[in-house]
Amino acid sequence: MAKPKVAICWLGGCGGCDEAVVDINEVLLSVAGAVDLVLWPVALDFKYHSIEAMKDGEIALSIINGHIRNSEQEEVAELLRKKSQIVLAFGACACFGGTPGLANLTTKEDIFDWVYKNAPTVINPKGNVPKTHSRINGKDLTLPEFYGQVQALKDVIDVDYYLPGCPPPPHLIIAAISAVIENKLPPKGSTLAPHRSLCDSCTRNKTKPERMAITEIKRIHEVEANPDTCFLAQGILCLGPATRDGCGEACMNINIPCRGCFGPVEGVVDSGAKYISALASILDVQTDADMNRLTDQIKDLAGYLYRFSLPTSILKKKRVKELA
Amino acid sequence: MSENKPKIVCFSCKFGWGYLTDEATLSKQIENWIPIICTGKIDTTDIMNAFDQGADGVLILGCPEGDCHYQDGNYEAKKRVHLLSRLLESMGVEKGRIRIELGTDPEGKTIPQIIKEMSKDLTKLGSSRTGAIAAKRPAREMIKAKGGK
Repeated sequence: MAKPKVAICWLGGCGGCDEAVVDINEVLLSVAGAVDLVLWPVALDFKYHSIEAMKDGEIALSIINGHIRNSEQEEVAELLRKKSQIVLAFGACACFGGTPGLANLTTKEDIFDWVYKNAPTVINPKGNVPKTHSRINGKDLTLPEFYGQVQALKDVIDVDYYLPGCPPPPHLIIAAISAVIENKLPPKGSTLAPHRSLCDSCTRNKTKPERMAITEIKRIHEVEANPDTCFLAQGILCLGPATRDGCGEACMNINIPCRGCFGPVEGVVDSGAKYISALASILDVQTDADMNRLTDQIKDLAGYLYRFSLPTSILKKKRVKELA
Repeated sequence: MSENKPKIVCFSCKFGWGYLTDEATLSKQIENWIPIICTGKIDTTDIMNAFDQGADGVLILGCPEGDCHYQDGNYEAKKRVHLLSRLLESMGVEKGRIRIELGTDPEGKTIPQIIKEMSKDLTKLGSSRTGAIAAKRPAREMIKAKGGK
């Protein structure tokens, strides 16, 4: 019997997710022996046209990381969807838009203005900006179109499974790949990680006082955090209560609070909005002035709550008044 | 309803607002009225959803300070609204679109009046619907439309 074909592809990603695949170490060798890799741009020299030549559904599994911001990324995602039986959104960017999703707090126009005009290091006297189509010396040149906002993979193609994380940890990658090879997958649409929140497995949870009451909010670099005590009890924002478990507490273990790369817990769409409820309940304030003082201590609330998930939050992007 | 009239979703606590009047009678006078038991029960997601579905403003009517049937639900709601409006502001949703009033009106006669006042302020802000409708359109169509040249 022919080995199942597997494609690994990056769209708008940093390469960290591809690195995470390599981090499964010697398991990768047995995976490589059990499957037939047909695409992995970061590591192997396969071409997209060889994928185009395949029959629909010929690839057993496509592991796609990165967000979608331009037409090239969209085309590659659509091509892989067409040729694959299973599509796995791999990593925070593919699942929720990831850190690049924070670009949805600004507009395409502002990004272009900064990058090609106003940044202090830019020298561009002719005011050149990338165009999707130009004609030079009788030759047509094309570039992908840069879209107005960052999107997660599921907003563009049908996604079968999700594996969050920035990047996903090796034990979950191995579990996901084995589930595909052994055909032991959960129902379509599942996230291949625990359903509960990070606090449920956090070793610091037991240090939490019976009633939490924060009177000051501190940033992690401003204090020397106690490595064994709940961050929230110390007045340091930690997204654990609203974030899915499964990361292996990589950040906690180096005394850094959770920043939410595993996205919302099962059944929740908008982890930022949920976190607001949790955070508000532990703020110990009496007056409006107190409340203002405390909220002023949170720098960039939207950026903090949606560090990895703005494109899949309820509002998706900052609202900009369109000029009439 | 006229095109320009702002859409306001009003949550009010049954312990403080309109409990002496028949709910059906009041709901005829108040559009998008959601009487609930304790404002502490309102999740921030409910408020976000209201905006996402086209509300121009959200009004929350809770019991007077120190007078919550469940100890401090109104106080919790107030803190939640404060934090959420900070978040919404940074997401381009103006501060005045979300309001919480702590007080009591057993007959609920003042509710339409409070809504009218909020309506006035919201009319000045204009519709929040441009964004909401855009967000409801299929994702692909939206990125193509916004992407442009």
